[in-house]
Amino acid sequence: MKEKTDHPLHQEIAKIAVLSPNASRLLEINSKPDHSLNDIIQLVKFDAALTAKTLRIVNSAAFNLLQPINSIDRAISFLGERMIVGMVIAESAGEVFQKGLPGYESYPGDLWRHDLFTAFASREVAKYAKEELEKELAFTAGLLHDIGKFVISSHLEGTAEKAVKVIDSGEASDYLNAEVQFSGHHHAELGFELAKHWKLPEAIQEVIRYHHEPSKALECYKPLVYAVHLGDILAMMSGHATGSDALQYHLDGAYEDYYVISPVELTKIIADTETQFRPALTSLDNSQEN
Amino acid sequence: MSDIVLGIGDFGVSNDPNATIKTFALGSCVAVVLFNPALHAAGMIHIALPEMKVNPTRAKERPGFFADSGLPLLFGAMARIGCDKKGKGLKIKLIGGASIMDNNEIFNIGKRNLIAIKKLLWAQGLGAVAEEVGGTISRTVSIHVGTGEVRIFSPARGTWTL
Repeated sequence: MKEKTDHPLHQEIAKIAVLSPNASRLLEINSKPDHSLNDIIQLVKFDAALTAKTLRIVNSAAFNLLQPINSIDRAISFLGERMIVGMVIAESAGEVFQKGLPGYESYPGDLWRHDLFTAFASREVAKYAKEELEKELAFTAGLLHDIGKFVISSHLEGTAEKAVKVIDSGEASDYLNAEVQFSGHHHAELGFELAKHWKLPEAIQEVIRYHHEPSKALECYKPLVYAVHLGDILAMMSGHATGSDALQYHLDGAYEDYYVISPVELTKIIADTETQFRPALTSLDNSQEN
Repeated sequence: MSDIVLGIGDFGVSNDPNATIKTFALGSCVAVVLFNPALHAAGMIHIALPEMKVNPTRAKERPGFFADSGLPLLFGAMARIGCDKKGKGLKIKLIGGASIMDNNEIFNIGKRNLIAIKKLLWAQGLGAVAEEVGGTISRTVSIHVGTGEVRIFSPARGTWTL
């Protein structure tokens, strides 16, 4: 199916491989508010490679199980929906996440680590929403929020030093603004174009587009967009950034309209995120090498 | 030459004059760097949060993650390589504690880390001789054990000494 868009980088974005059918189906299930873990189990069960990989991950040293898990149902229950999403995205879109980002002076794997931390952090933040929020969707949206950096990186090569200079001098308000000054685009906008190319669920498209400007998001998606806005910031604060743009963005204080988080709770979010992030990173990295 | 690389919540010490101790990408985290010029001994810890009470399990697994569980262990490790138990004779430097732009008091964890660390140092009658803290930049820091030279690197901003 041909997608029409007027975006100047359309042809470049159209060349990026689309997600696998299973990855698309998984994201579709994940974005439905009334889905259950059983829907995920059914999807994995009918894919032999995915089943094998899930069992390998759950029994990897990172999870330190006393007894091996041999049933796929139990494996998915143990790992949770988020790990299946992480595994499928890593496999289906590895090209996007694992390459270095020379435009940000960042190394191969940095984007994946940043996104995985953001995913866990967004999920933890979602627990503090004033109104019930789908936490697994916050994870997925966190994982995908920065896909635009893959697209824009080559257009920003050689600009990192200039970018921090214009931010320091006040000529650019933040890194997003600096990206526009040097390339005519910013990573959230290009991420949105890639999200459309990948036919991602609308909620995730909205997160990708507005994760640095959450107040511009559609009202119905704002709690989700703010979760990832905060998750992204927590990743940068925790040292999981993508090079030259680390901490060069604004916190939108209006998150308080949707979240109640005390100072102590925020430190708990960081500690809990770090605890979940480490084994996930190790087991997913190992599963990609196998 | 041996390099000791510390992750978040790690600490390490060395009296090998050829060694370097290094930690990457401090955001709101703070590195406390210790150097004893007489013994050519150095130590470093990469602290993420002020207090262990928010996640005691994490503190048990990785005590250096929190200022209150980690700092005493760093001083203990320095004592095991010949330094004074109470930190006498140590030059202390603090690096990191940055924040996001427009942060509010809740998100200013860098500042809270620095206050917690300084309070713990003051309680021992200690203080930092130099610091490179705050702002909105990511910092990678290293100390050369033989010379005590502390170097800071930030992406797109280069390297300088403290």
